[in-house]
Amino acid sequence: MSATQGDVKSLQAQDAPDAPKSVKRAPPPETSQAIYTRFKVIAAFWAVIIFLGFPIWWKTTSIYRAHLPIQDMLEWANGKTCRPVFPLEIHLMTPTMQLPESQHLLRTTQHALDDLNEFAAHHLRLKLVNDSSALNVEQREKASGTDAEEADIALTVRVLSQDDLPAPRSYLHAETTQLDIFYPPNQAPIPSSSNPPLSVFIAQELQQLYWEEKATIAHVLSGETGNLDSISPQLAESISRRFRRSMKYADTYHLSFSLFTPGSAPSSWDIEAAVQEYLAPLLNEFASISNFTIDTQVQLYASFSPMAPSPVFEETEAAWTLQKEDLSAFINAAEWPLNPSIGSGPTLNFILYVPSPSQSPLVVKENHASSWIVPQWGGVFLLNPPLSSDSTNPSHLSKDSLRPAFMTFSHQLLTLLGTPTTPSSLPLRLQALVRVRAASLLLSASSTMGSLARLTESLPSIPIPATVASSVSDTLSHLSAACTHMKHGRFSAALANARIAEIEAERSFFEKSMVGQVYFPDEHKIAVYLPLLGPIGVPLIVGLMKELKRIVATLKARRANAA
Amino acid sequence: MAIDQRKVAVFAGAFVLRLVLVFLFPSLPDLLTGRVEVSTPVNSFKRLQEGLFLYTRNVSPYDGGVFHQAPLLLPLFALLPDVTQYPLPTALFFFGVDLVNAYALSTISDSGQSVKSRLHSAMRKHIRWDGASVAAWFLFNPFTIATCLARSTSVFTTSGILFAVSNAVEGNSINAMLAIGFASYLSLYPALLFVPVLLLCYDFHAEKSKQSLNTTVFVLQHTAIFLGSLTGLLAISCLITGNFWEFMSATYGFHLLVPDLTPNVGLWWYFFIEMFDSFRAFFLGVFWLHLASYAGGLTFRLRRQPLFIVSSLLGVFAIFKPYPSISDASLYLALLPLYRHLFPLMRYTFFAISALLYSSLLGPAFYHLWIYAGSGNANFFYAITLVWSLGLSILLADFLFAGLRDEWEQDHPEAQGKEVKQV
Repeated sequence: MSATQGDVKSLQAQDAPDAPKSVKRAPPPETSQAIYTRFKVIAAFWAVIIFLGFPIWWKTTSIYRAHLPIQDMLEWANGKTCRPVFPLEIHLMTPTMQLPESQHLLRTTQHALDDLNEFAAHHLRLKLVNDSSALNVEQREKASGTDAEEADIALTVRVLSQDDLPAPRSYLHAETTQLDIFYPPNQAPIPSSSNPPLSVFIAQELQQLYWEEKATIAHVLSGETGNLDSISPQLAESISRRFRRSMKYADTYHLSFSLFTPGSAPSSWDIEAAVQEYLAPLLNEFASISNFTIDTQVQLYASFSPMAPSPVFEETEAAWTLQKEDLSAFINAAEWPLNPSIGSGPTLNFILYVPSPSQSPLVVKENHASSWIVPQWGGVFLLNPPLSSDSTNPSHLSKDSLRPAFMTFSHQLLTLLGTPTTPSSLPLRLQALVRVRAASLLLSASSTMGSLARLTESLPSIPIPATVASSVSDTLSHLSAACTHMKHGRFSAALANARIAEIEAERSFFEKSMVGQVYFPDEHKIAVYLPLLGPIGVPLIVGLMKELKRIVATLKARRANAA
Repeated sequence: MAIDQRKVAVFAGAFVLRLVLVFLFPSLPDLLTGRVEVSTPVNSFKRLQEGLFLYTRNVSPYDGGVFHQAPLLLPLFALLPDVTQYPLPTALFFFGVDLVNAYALSTISDSGQSVKSRLHSAMRKHIRWDGASVAAWFLFNPFTIATCLARSTSVFTTSGILFAVSNAVEGNSINAMLAIGFASYLSLYPALLFVPVLLLCYDFHAEKSKQSLNTTVFVLQHTAIFLGSLTGLLAISCLITGNFWEFMSATYGFHLLVPDLTPNVGLWWYFFIEMFDSFRAFFLGVFWLHLASYAGGLTFRLRRQPLFIVSSLLGVFAIFKPYPSISDASLYLALLPLYRHLFPLMRYTFFAISALLYSSLLGPAFYHLWIYAGSGNANFFYAITLVWSLGLSILLADFLFAGLRDEWEQDHPEAQGKEVKQV
C-alpha cells in the first residue's frame, strides 16, 4: 500500500555498480516544486481523512443511548415504589336480620378476621349490602367488572337463619362466588355480646377459604412460605409442588391435543365439538389471565418406544397395567410428533391414547388411574373405548365418548396453569389465580426493570435504542397502574396492566440490537481497528510528521534569516 | 495504408477467434457467465436476464432483489432476440463492443499522449508499440476474451472509460465528459476518473489554443457537462423504471453498501463476512474512502501525465473496488502497453506476472474445492484472491515507480540509465 504512494519518494542517483560503494554522495537537492507537490499529495490524503473519514467514523460508531429512568427502575426492582397489597372486598348479606344486628355482625366478624389474619398484605374487608336478591348481586358483579372505580367483589356471603340446626353450617356454591352461612335462630348475634359465636364461625370459614391463596401469595412475594408461622408443612409442600408442576406464566399458551393409537382405529374424533363444548367455557374464564391457541392431530400406528417396558396383563384385574414408575417412558418422544413449541408461547400437550384391542383395557397398575399429568409439559389420558363385536376399536370417537377425557384434560389444564386447589368453587380459584398472577407479573416485570437498569449501568458501551426507552416508560406506567388497581382491590384491571408491563419489560430487555453488543468490551475495538487501519495509517502519519517537521524547519530558517 | 491493414487483421482475427470459440464450445459462454471470477452481482449477464424478464413483463426489474445494474441496459437488451433461443446475436453484439473498445484503445495509442503530454515528455520515446499492437494486446488477452464470452456488462463501463480517454486525447472534450458520465452512470466508481480526464482535456486545449485558457470557466463548463450527462441519464432511467428511489437504492445503494457478499476476486467480500455487524457501516466508509483517497494523491503527484493517472487509478480500482472481476484487471492490463517505454524501468514484472498466472490457474481450482468438492473452505479461495490482489498491487506499484523514475529522469537528464535508490 505504501508503495503506491508516490508522495514519500524521491530518487537518489548512485554511481554505476562498478564504482566504489564507500563513496557516498548526497542526493541532489529537491526542487521547491517537488516539495510543494509532496505537500499537496499529503494534504490530499489527509483532507479525505479529516473531512470524510472522521465524520463517517463519528457517525457510524457513535452509540445511541436513550435516557432511561434508572433510579425509578431500581426502586421498582427493590420494591420501594410499590408494596403489593390484596384488599379483598367481601359483601355480607343478611336478609334475615335487622340492620343493627347486621352491622354488629359485620363489626364483630371483621374484628375476628383481623385477629386471625397474620399476613398484612392480604386482608379481607367486609361490606354490608342491603339489597339482598342474589340475582341483583350477580348483575352488580358484572357491572362492577366494567366500572373502574369500584373494587372487584371477591365473595358474597349470605347469612341465613335456618331452623333445627345444632350449629352454624356453611355451603359454598361451586359455580358462583357465593358462600351461604346457615345459623340456628338462637345464635343470632346479640348487639351486647362482644364476640358472638356466629362471627367467629364466619371469620374462620373465610379464613379457611383464603388460606391457600394467602400462602401462595406469601410464597410469590417472598420466595418462601417461612414468614407465615401457621402454615402447615403439608400446605407449604403442596404449594411448592404446585409451583414445580405448573408452567411458567406466558401471555399465550398453545394447547395441542393429540390422539395416538397403535392401530388403524380410531382414525377420527369429534375434537372440534368436544373442545367447543368441554373446554371453551373454561378457556373463556381464563381469557383475562392468558390467551390460548389450539391445534389437534391424529397419529395412527403410534408405537411405544422400544426402551419402554410394555404393559403387563394382570389376571386379577382383567386389565393390562402400566407400572407407575414406567409412566415417564410412556411417551415415545423420539417418534411421536409432539412439537416442543409452536408459535410464540409455550405448548401444553394433551395426549389421548387409545390402546390396541389386544391390550385393552389399559390402566395404571397402582391405582387403576387412566390419566396422569406430566409436570410443565401436559397430560395423558388412556381411553379404553368399548370394543365392537369383532374386537376392534371403533373407527370414530364421538363427542360423548370424549367427555371423560376432556373433563380430565380440563382438570389437568387448571393444574398446569397453577390454579390453587382450594376452595372448591371454580370462580374463586380463578380469582385467586388472577391475584397470584398479577402479583408475580408485577414482581417479574419490576425485577426485569432492575436487571435492565443494572445492565445499562454496568455496560456503558451498549447502545440503548429509543424503542427500549419507550418500552421502559410503558412498563413503568403500567406497573404503577397495576399497583394502584391492586391497592383498590381491582385485580382484573391490575392483571391486565401487569401483563402489558411484563410484555414491554421483556421486549426492552431482549432488544436485539442491544444484546448483540453486550459481550463486546472496549479492548476488542483495538483488534477491530488495528489490522486494517494500522497498515494504512502508518505511512500516512509518518508522511504527515515529516511534512510538519519540514514546515517547522523552514519557518525557523526563515526567522533566523530575518533576525 | 499498411497500419490500417494490420489493424484490420487484428480486429478480424479477434472476431474470428471469438466466433470459433463460441462455435467449438457452445457451452463456454454459459459456463463463464456462472464463474464468480467473471460475473459479479453488478455485472452478471444472468442477473441482467432476470431483470430483463421482469422488465419485459412490466414488473419493476429490481423487485426480485437480483438485478442491480443500470436501467438503461434493459431497453437496449430488450431489442436483442431471446438469448436462450438465439444466443448468437447477443454474442455478436458483445464481440462488437470489444472491437469498439479496442478501436478506442488504438486511438489513444496513436495520439501519443502516453509518451508526450503538455508538461511531460518521456525519455525513451522510441520504444513504443503502435495502435494495432495495443489493440491486439487487448483483444487477445484471455481475460478480455473471457469477459466478452461471459457477456459481462462491465464491458460497457470499459467502453465509457476508454471513449472518455480517447475523446479527451483527441480534444473532443464534450464527448469525453459525456462518456465519463455514461461510465459513472453505469458503475459509479468511474466518477473518480473525472478529474484526470478533465486534466487530459485541459492539457489538450491549453496546448492547442493560442491565448491562455480561462481555467475556472473551463472547469465549470466541463463539470456542468459531466453533471448534465449524469442527470440526463438518471432522468431517462427514472422514466424507464418509474420509481426513482427504488432504482437508486438497488443500483448505487448496492454499490455503496455492498449487501451481496458473493465471493469474487476482490478483497471486500471476505472482510465483510467476518466483520462485526456494528462496525460494518464504519468499515464500508473506510473501504470506500481508501478507494477514493488515491484519486486526490495520484492526481497531484502525477499532474504532468494525466493519462498515467487514469491508468494507475484503473489499477487501484481493479484491486480495491467492491465488486471487482477479471474484466477490471483486463482493462488495466490493456492500458499497460501504452507505456511500453516504461517496461525497461520496471523491476518486478516477473514476480507480478507469476503471481497473476499462479492465482488465475489456482483460483478456479480452489473455488471448486470449496464450493463443489467440499474439501476446502472459504479461506482457500480468499487466499488466492489475496495472491491475485498482491500480483496486481506489485504490478501497479512497479508501474508507478517506473513512471516516477521516468519523470525524475526528465528533471535530471544527467542521471539517465544510472542506478537509483529510493530515500
